[in-house]
Amino acid sequence: MFEKPEVLTIASSLAAHAAARQSAIARNVANADTPGYRAQDLPDFAETYRAEDAAPLRRTRAGHVGAGSGSGVAIATDRVGGGTMSPNGNSVSLETEMVKAADVKREHDLALAIYGKSLAILRASLGRR
Amino acid sequence: MSDFANSLSIAASGMEAQAMRLRHVSENIANADTPGYHRKVTSFETVLDQGQATGEVRLGAVKLDPSELARVLDPGNPLADQNGYYDGSNVDLVVEIADAREAQRSYEANLRMFDQARQMSASLLDLLRR
Repeated sequence: MFEKPEVLTIASSLAAHAAARQSAIARNVANADTPGYRAQDLPDFAETYRAEDAAPLRRTRAGHVGAGSGSGVAIATDRVGGGTMSPNGNSVSLETEMVKAADVKREHDLALAIYGKSLAILRASLGRR
Repeated sequence: MSDFANSLSIAASGMEAQAMRLRHVSENIANADTPGYHRKVTSFETVLDQGQATGEVRLGAVKLDPSELARVLDPGNPLADQNGYYDGSNVDLVVEIADAREAQRSYEANLRMFDQARQMSASLLDLLRR
């Protein structure tokens, strides 16, 4: 199982993805009243996972080495989800952002739980409980 | 971790901007009966750092609402002209209250984002503690 601890890699990628998405959501919420601001979002982790099936899942951000090959992990702008454009050109919907925030929290908790549990299993196999 | 630091500072900037907005709203409400007072209008803008948007937000320049002042009939007022009218303020209390409500709602949303980023980084640090 732990010849190559891929679980840990996936879990840490998921946590990094959740953190990056949380940052995008915080940006949207802070700019909820800025005229002309367009809501931003990152694609789902599952989408980026499938897009890079063979490649390692380390590229969760545009700034990472090897990213930028159009794998769709960069911050996608103009993702109008649910909310409509307000008269001042702002497309942020606070309700949608709250739903996304809850989603991100769940994703992050999941990643950390898996990571922690995997570490516990590793530790148990080493005989240090 | 830098994502969390980023989230925290962005949420904090949002809270600060909304608090400033609320301050201007309360100034308007306090001066609702001041003769000749033009209500202050605020707008938000994104913070640019060397031409790059940091994602943070701040309150833009405060402008005065140029709309017409209310004419108040009060012949006994020392400011009244020969017809008995003087210039009141152009503050509409209903608009101000609505603005205050919106500022509060946005502030709470930012606070929630701040709290969530804090919780997430705390649970990440918990992994190290084990």
